[in-house]
Amino acid sequence: MSYSEIEDFIRAEVASLIGKNVQDVTADTILVGQNRVVDSADLVVLLLAVEDFAKEQLGVQWDWTSDSAMSEARSVLRSVGSLSRHLSELQPA
Amino acid sequence: MTDTIIVTGASRGLGAHCATRLHEAGYKVIGIGRKPTKDLPYVTRIADVADPESVKAAVDDVKRDASVYALINAAGIASMNLILTTPAETVKRIIDTNLLGTIYCCQAVAPAMIKRGNGRIINFSTLGVPLAIKGEGIYVASKAGVEAFTRVFAREMSAHGVTVNAVAPGPIATGLLEKVAQEKIDNVVAQQLIARQGEPEDVWNVVSLLLKPESSMITGQTIYVGGA
Repeated sequence: MSYSEIEDFIRAEVASLIGKNVQDVTADTILVGQNRVVDSADLVVLLLAVEDFAKEQLGVQWDWTSDSAMSEARSVLRSVGSLSRHLSELQPA
Repeated sequence: MTDTIIVTGASRGLGAHCATRLHEAGYKVIGIGRKPTKDLPYVTRIADVADPESVKAAVDDVKRDASVYALINAAGIASMNLILTTPAETVKRIIDTNLLGTIYCCQAVAPAMIKRGNGRIINFSTLGVPLAIKGEGIYVASKAGVEAFTRVFAREMSAHGVTVNAVAPGPIATGLLEKVAQEKIDNVVAQQLIARQGEPEDVWNVVSLLLKPESSMITGQTIYVGGA
């Protein structure tokens, strides 16, 4: 699956969670830290949805509760773009 | 869909009592214990709650299963000893099992309840926390941590419809008390608001109350069975 398709999925999920149009969510939309658009409860819901998406659409296991995912969470989850890139890179070449 | 309830410490004591009652009530019970146990009416999986990888392996197939309605963290160990004479290894073992074990199980199972949109988490503490019982310092410290964790986790899970509470009994008449002198038990019971030694059914009564769908507004609480 292409990067843009993955980003589209995440943008749609974020838009749904925050009650905005998908056009209002971009790759630069912040997910954690200052200026984030989702609260921590919504972030967990997003991660569960992304986990399902990774398994069903990309064929990869991405467990955001694993130690390795937790340790790199700050960088991976920083924005819609960084999360999309991470998922894209998880796909087998 | 039959609701699933995961019970740690399900091979004996209060965990086994609650798991048996849940099984009788029609829930699918997944018991977790450290040792294989025969003749239990529910499924029991072997895991050490003090080991996060062991916990993850035990619940791997249900960690995102929306049938999971509740987690009951009844696994726990105690060692009656004065604080100054408790070996460091014992201190670590008690904290690892009682406090960290509770945290690891919550981390592993709570996402399933978030996916479901509601759920119940019931942790076990002790009446020893408010009574500050001499000779149970490390055990009480571990359970005080459980109570604090319960309050914070209740706040974090409230947006997902999941309640988090603790049940804190005094000395309950189970096989675990067989080696404890009756005089010590009587001394603790005398400090309870209701000076009667509780039965496993007294604890189940509180657990079953917290599990009810109607109890969705009870969260972040520790209920002291017997009163303190």
